[in-house]
Amino acid sequence: MIRLRKKRLLGAGLLAAVAGFALLGPLHGIDPLRQDLSAALQPPGAAHPLGTDHLGRDLLARLAAGARLSFGFALLAALVSAGTGTLLGLLAALRGGWAERLLLGLADAVQALPALLLVVLVTAFAPGEFLPLYLGVALALWVDFFRIARNTAASVLARPQVEAARLLGFGPGHLLRRHLWPEVAPLVATLFAFAAGTAVTTVAALAFIGVGARPPVPEWGSMMTELLPYYAEAPLALLLPALLIFLTVLGLHLLAGRERG
Amino acid sequence: MALIVDNLAIHGSEGVLLRPASFTLQPGRPLVLLGETGSGKSLLAQAVMGVLPPGLTATGRIVLDGQNLLAMAPRARRALWGRRIAMLPQEPWAALDPSMRAAAQVEEVDRLVHRRSAAEARQRSAARLDRLGLAGAGRRYPFQLSGGMNQRVALAATEAAGAGLLIADEPTKGLDAALRDTAGALLRAEAEAGRMLLVITHDVALARLLGGDALVMLAGAVIEAGPLPGLLAAPRHDYTRRLIAAEPARWPRWTPRPAGRPIVEAAGLRKRLGGQELFGGLDLGIAEGQVTAIAGRSGGGKTSLGNLLLGLLRPDAGSVRRAGWVAPFGLQKLYQDPLAGFAPQQRLGHGLQELQRRHGLDAAAAQRLLPRLKLAPALLARRPAEVSGGELQRFGLLRALLLAPALLFADEATSRLDPLTQQEIMALLGESVAERNMALLVVTHETALAEAVAGQVIRLGGGERAMA
Repeated sequence: MIRLRKKRLLGAGLLAAVAGFALLGPLHGIDPLRQDLSAALQPPGAAHPLGTDHLGRDLLARLAAGARLSFGFALLAALVSAGTGTLLGLLAALRGGWAERLLLGLADAVQALPALLLVVLVTAFAPGEFLPLYLGVALALWVDFFRIARNTAASVLARPQVEAARLLGFGPGHLLRRHLWPEVAPLVATLFAFAAGTAVTTVAALAFIGVGARPPVPEWGSMMTELLPYYAEAPLALLLPALLIFLTVLGLHLLAGRERG
Repeated sequence: MALIVDNLAIHGSEGVLLRPASFTLQPGRPLVLLGETGSGKSLLAQAVMGVLPPGLTATGRIVLDGQNLLAMAPRARRALWGRRIAMLPQEPWAALDPSMRAAAQVEEVDRLVHRRSAAEARQRSAARLDRLGLAGAGRRYPFQLSGGMNQRVALAATEAAGAGLLIADEPTKGLDAALRDTAGALLRAEAEAGRMLLVITHDVALARLLGGDALVMLAGAVIEAGPLPGLLAAPRHDYTRRLIAAEPARWPRWTPRPAGRPIVEAAGLRKRLGGQELFGGLDLGIAEGQVTAIAGRSGGGKTSLGNLLLGLLRPDAGSVRRAGWVAPFGLQKLYQDPLAGFAPQQRLGHGLQELQRRHGLDAAAAQRLLPRLKLAPALLARRPAEVSGGELQRFGLLRALLLAPALLFADEATSRLDPLTQQEIMALLGESVAERNMALLVVTHETALAEAVAGQVIRLGGGERAMA
């Protein structure tokens, strides 16, 4: 248990460090989009603490801006999918009947498609825009929340505690508050951290293959695409966005670990 | 060969849990520790076995065949398990490996404990199962056997280890009367075969079956000791007297009340479960003021019938009609496991407030009922798991009574409670029937209880079926 708490502390620490980086980055006052071709691919130095990319843009400023984008994006997409999925899952378990069958069928259909393909399909409607990207990722992620919420709720609803509450005249609101939520909430919270991690990697992976965020928008995935050809000259420049993705997802996953029982 | 317990006391951080107790256990003569939850009888057995919970210490002497167990290192004591001291598990069907055939579970004791060859182990365990009347059951899995059969498999495995001292902790917990008699006879046979037998129970009937000597325990002390059945025939201590009087067979019969308006009428009820018919063509009516009992063996569909009458379950055939005058929440239920009726995270008082709000009830009604049901107001601040089973069951009764039910269904509501608590709860239910003219439906595996309280007894089920 103590080890688990340590892990979670470490996770929270990592996330705080990434968040701090995102917030403190702009303080050094360089526009992440400002080019200076005479200072391309410079190693870390006084003017550019983390060096520059192939167009002479400041890497610290770009990584920090990317952190805000990736982090904010991941939280938003996870929030939307968690909200939708949990709500629909609880609804399906409580209502049963055709509503449950319909939602289950929908969940199966969504899961039958590779998540990346789904996001690419949605993004194709408006290339380069962020809203379809949010929607696409949320559309791929809600299914997990739906299944967890629906299955947990269904098993709780079969318990004698629920029968007793119904016999005493309590309605769905009471069941939700007193019986379903205490069981579902911790699972959803755990899943939320994992989903946020998935959102970060998904967006980065999409940007890397040229879907979603596009240059010159400072996004970790698209930065990696841009810097890939200069791997030999400036390996650090390519490594940094990859490292940030790694640390963010690791932090989220460590945070998701929780005590059992 | 003997077990001598000399001034054994058990201390915890909060003081003495077991005051010095002494007794001698000889082969062939069972010793029964009789008492309720919290009386210290299980602690005593744990001290003999060497499995006291951490933080507790035992003083005095426990001498087995000339060896003082308390002076031995934990490792050396563990080496005695199975070979010299064996414990028959509570609820054996939970202790057996569900994925292993019955015979294999007995054989492995011979192979692993006594290092016998597979062929020899097979032969010995077959003979053992044969003797316990399980000749055909060796190839079956625990879930294909009845509760009583599983208990015999566990006994065969325990026996195979060949320990001279056998400890049985509540061996009849959850068994109906017929199975209890079988279990008692099996244990007595173990003693007669020359083993030392120590049985822990709150079941007076089992003590009577076993014979030998008994120690009656109360609040961490031995209050009475003597040979059976003499001790039960002429108890000296007031507590022993009450414990014996708490046996349902000795309860005074409830006086039947005149039947009032009908509440539920069932006609031609049929219910199947797992491909087997529980009952069919059953007609049954319950009216105000009536006490009805559904009795019968485990797994016979008693609870299902009660749930059908409450409308919690649909019949496969037939109909259940609820009278028009009965309020929407006029049928209430008490559960076998009191915890099953409560939201686990919610404080009892808070749950009560929600119930009052939901039905627009006067808070004074609950305040009046609390002392009536012997519930301290301080309990309202606790969560369900933080009060005793008896208290929680009374709280469930309070909640049900607030809704002025026409019919209360007590589904084995006292079968997990100590005898005195059971008697108390049933008495409260009887008073509620008399005061409110409500109907009571009791589901029980104890025929004596059914006959003592009910004007109308329905018996379900015939032969023995898998799983108790």
